[in-house]
This record gives sequence, C-alpha cells and structure tokens, in this order.
Amino acid sequence: MKAVLEVEHLVTSFPGVGRGKTVRAVNDVSIVLHSGEIVGLVGESGCGKSTLGRSIVGLEKPESGRVIFDGVDLGSLSGNRLRAARRAVQYVFQDPYASLNDRQTVGEAIDEALIIVGVASKAERSARIGQLLDQVGLASAVRDRFTRELSGGQRQRVAIARSLAVEPRVLICDEPVSALDLSIRAQVMNLFLDLRDQLGVACLFIAHDLALVRQAATRVYVMYLGKIVEGGGSDEVYGRPSHPYTQMLLASVPEADPMIERRRKIPLIKGEIPSPTNPPSGCFFRTRCPLAVGECARIEPPTIFLTPTHRIACRFANEIAQKSLTDA
Amino acid sequence: MTAEPILIVKDLTIDLLTAHTAVRPVDSISYQLRRGETLAIVGESGSGKTVTCFAPLGLMPVGVKADVSGSVLFEGTELVGANEETLRSLRGKSIGFIFQDPMSALNPARRIGHQIAEVAELHLGITPRAAEARALDLIKMVGMSDPNARLKQYPHELSGGLRQRVMIAISIAAEPKLLVADEPTTALDVTVQAQILRLLKEIQARMDMAMVLITHDMGVVAGAADRVLVMYAGRQAEVGPTEKVLVAPRHPYTMGLIDAIPRRDDAIGSRFRGLSGLPPILGAPIKGCAFTPRCRHSVEGCGAQRPPLRTTADPAVMAACPVLNA
Repeated sequence: MKAVLEVEHLVTSFPGVGRGKTVRAVNDVSIVLHSGEIVGLVGESGCGKSTLGRSIVGLEKPESGRVIFDGVDLGSLSGNRLRAARRAVQYVFQDPYASLNDRQTVGEAIDEALIIVGVASKAERSARIGQLLDQVGLASAVRDRFTRELSGGQRQRVAIARSLAVEPRVLICDEPVSALDLSIRAQVMNLFLDLRDQLGVACLFIAHDLALVRQAATRVYVMYLGKIVEGGGSDEVYGRPSHPYTQMLLASVPEADPMIERRRKIPLIKGEIPSPTNPPSGCFFRTRCPLAVGECARIEPPTIFLTPTHRIACRFANEIAQKSLTDA
Repeated sequence: MTAEPILIVKDLTIDLLTAHTAVRPVDSISYQLRRGETLAIVGESGSGKTVTCFAPLGLMPVGVKADVSGSVLFEGTELVGANEETLRSLRGKSIGFIFQDPMSALNPARRIGHQIAEVAELHLGITPRAAEARALDLIKMVGMSDPNARLKQYPHELSGGLRQRVMIAISIAAEPKLLVADEPTTALDVTVQAQILRLLKEIQARMDMAMVLITHDMGVVAGAADRVLVMYAGRQAEVGPTEKVLVAPRHPYTMGLIDAIPRRDDAIGSRFRGLSGLPPILGAPIKGCAFTPRCRHSVEGCGAQRPPLRTTADPAVMAACPVLNA
C-alpha cells in the first residue's frame, strides 16, 4: 500500500502565557496514512491528538518535522502548489453546529466550497451539489433548507459533503460523531466506511471513544502527553495492548452488560494526565505507571517492535505482551 | 434499603412555554426511588431526561416558564406547586446536584474552599470556622490529594476530574438524602470517569443516599444503576431492573439503543449497527407511539393511540409498546 500522508518527527509548541513555560503539545510524532484506510488516533483530552490533526492541515504551525503528502514535503511547497496539496487534506470538525453558517442554505454552504475550487459554471456546480448530497446520504430536497433547520447528524453530513466538494485524498476527522446521539452515530460512522470504500479516501479518525475506533479503524495510534506510546493494527493494539497506558485506557471503558460490568475489576488508576507544561522526566507515563522503575525516570523509553507493524514506547513491552498471552 | 420510597413521581408532565413556543418535554413520567438506590434515566438529547429531574425543583433556564402537573413527593412533601421558599430549602440541602460541566457550575472567582464551606454554612447552620473544617473533611472525602492546599485553589487551577470532585464535595456538603447527577462523567476521560463513578458509589453507600443518574452511556448505567428508566420523546419507553433491561430489552427503542453499542466481538472494519431515522423534534404531544416511524416492529395502529406503560412478561419490567402490550 502506498502512503498518502506521512508525518515525520512533528513538533508543535505553544508559547506559555506570562511566566508559563512552552507547551509541547505534539512532541516528536511520526505516523503514516495509506489510501483507502481509516486510522484511529486515541488518547485522553489534552494529549495533543487534535493539535496533531490541526498541524497536519496547517491550522497550527509546526515547529519542526515534516508533513509529506503524496511523497512531497509540504514544507518545500509554496503558492499554488501548496494550496493544491492543502486542499487534498480536509478537516471535519467535531461540532457541526459551529462549523456551518446558520444563515446559509445547504446548497449555498456546499456551493461556496465548489467556487473556491474553481468549478466555474453554475450548472456544473448544481449538478455536483446533487451528487455530493447523494454521496453523504442526504435527500436532494434539503438543498434549499437552512443549515440551522437540520439535526446534528444531518449537519455533520453537510459538513462532510463540503469537505468532499474539493475531492480530498485525506480526511482528518476530529471527533466527528461525539456530538451526535447514539442512535445517529452508527449512520454517520457507516458513511465514513462508505466514503473509504467508494472514494478511496484515507481517514485519520481522532476520537476518545475506543470502542468506536476499534470497529472503524484498521490501524490505531495511542497518544499520551504529545507522544505516540503505541501504534499498530487494531487487532494488535486492542487484542494485545502492550503499553501500560493502552492497557489502562482499554480497561477503563465500561461494558454495557451489567453482568460483566459489575464483576469487572476496574484498574486503580493513579491520578490524572500531568500538566504538559512540566512533563515528567524520562518516560512521560511513569508517574501513573504501575510498572515504573527508577530507570524510567532517567531515560526515555525505547521503541520496541513486537511485530513489524506493532510498536510500543515502553521498555517492558515484551514482558507485558508475554504476560497478556499467558493470561489469555 | 428501607421499604418506604423517598421519592415518588407520579404522572409528571411538564410543558415549557417560551415567548414563541410551547413544547412538552416530559409527558406522564412515574417512578419511585428508595434510600440507597440508584435509578438511571437514559435517553438521547431532547428526550426530556434533564427537565424531568430539574423542572419540579424550580431549576429552569431564564425566560422559560414551566407548567408542571402531576405529583413529585419527596419525603412526603409535594414539590409540584410548592412555593419557591419550600423548594429553596430543599435544593442543595436534602437534594444535592451534580452537573455535567463543573466549570460552569463553579464560581471562577472564588477559592474552592470557600465554595464548599459556603454550602455547609448555609445548610447546616454552622459557624464559618466549623464550615471550613467541614470543607477540609469533604475535600478529603472526595479523594483529593494535598487537601489543605486544594482549599486555596481556584477552579481554573484544577483539571476536569478534580473540578468534578469539588462539585461532588459541594453537592454532599449538607448530607443530602437524594443526589441528582446529570451526566456527571460525560465531560471526563474514561480513566477519570471510572474514578468518579467509584467515588459516587462509595459516598452513596456511606450516606445511604438515593441517586438519580441522568446519562446516555449504557456502560455507566450497567456499572452504577439498580434500575433504569428509558425515555423517548418525553415518555417512558421502558423501566425495570438494570440487569433485566440491559440484557434482555423489550421495547424496540431500548433494543435498538443497546444493539447500537459496539461490542468486543464485532469484526474490525464491520458496519455499525444503529437505528434508522431521526429522533422526533420536540413539539406538541405526539398522538400515537412516538417511536413508530423508526420502529422495525411497528404495525398499523401504533401511530393511532398512545401506548400505556404496562407490565411485560417479566413482572419487574414495564414497557410502553403497542405491539408488546397487545
């Protein structure tokens, strides 16, 4: 499979306010996206997952590192060529109530995007709007409705149609269904699966809902305090989580079956995510880690590959993986 | 658990009147709650779960007039139609509240120690000094590290999880008999959610408190609630013991909701299960069963008459479904 988007050693920092220190929201992150693939990016709030997404599309300016689209480093481009590359990577925002203009009709909202791409004739644009609405599963009758008249799920579909108007190769979806009701979520999730299959779009799916990501994504990255701590196939990361943080995260998700949930041993988790202005020395997770030893405070954890695709930033990854095998 | 219910809600109906519109977010809700018991009220946005709990206590957004009918008996006191004074004496004292977003519920300009002590002083009638000591106890009780330093901090200095712990400390300051928790963990991360739910359970057991837990997360219901009430379009769809309703749901809406939860044995990359169609828009009361347009099992006649809540084949579970009832 060909990589459509590669992120290499990306660092994005925010200056501290007043005496505050600089926050490295994205700290040396490398990830890959292939065409026609949904890749999950999970982690707790404040871990930097949205900043990573925003840095990829240029909404934040990375301090160092590279974003490579279709083999070309975006940092080496400027002018029209940069704009064209940027256009191919679109962002879908979490809140469809904030991302659409209330005073536009659905047709106008999509038309705006088509004008920017330079679809010249009105007839062509109109045909394309009909096509896009069909693609996102909306009846063409909604074209003349104001976006404010639509439900959350419908609005998110319009937002997706707008991103698709520019024929992107990559969608960065930042919690695209977390503002939607449970009964509507499945409909929008299935739309992403369809877009992947029909258009071959690659999706970076940023979410905190681990169960949702497991089902939708073929690969997943787990982020903690600006760093990727574990990455691999969904079957690997969910089936054999080998970073203590991933294990903790997965064990915290409640089960909807009361028989399982009441017997479940909820892991005793120490504290909360530390302040990113002052991250711990060595391994960032060591302050909450049940396995931490003295060495973890001194040296950054090595990256261990359990398989060619399954990577973990923890010195104990092999032992953890072994143990989860014998436990299972 | 004592036999006598602490809260008896009967045929609660609420009409909300703004300058332009009239809607009925709560339509004939009935339930009971005993000490030490937790009832989860589950539903999607707009299903009326929050209004059900807050309107009878006089907690409504500004500019909205709530027309409340039916009966809400709390420890023998009728809340429907009660004057503001009666309601005020209950709020925060015998009935505690936790809201979804602790940041908007806390005063950003006051130290958290003050905010907790204030409630203790007001409702327990103790001296400011005693109230401060009480605040310190409460901070310890909700499991915050370095309690003395915490008292002097402002809400913005705390993480979301710690803020919610402060909210819990405030809500239990006057040792309420009933705690109403509206999506207490929705704004929190899963790891913190587990901690907060455990804390709520511990406190509930210690104080033998009844709890109404408003949530949309079936995982939270499974772990925390004894009974569950499923709401759809302001009405009760199904109500019964958690282990029965979540494992063998009977109402087609409950079935759909539970079926929509991704499961561990779902294949990676497989399609998501969900309900078709859209939830109804709040408006005038719906004539028949409100779920009819989305229901897989609907038959002719479902839309004609509103189904009453009836006992199902399992006497502990009640559901309002014309097909089940027939």
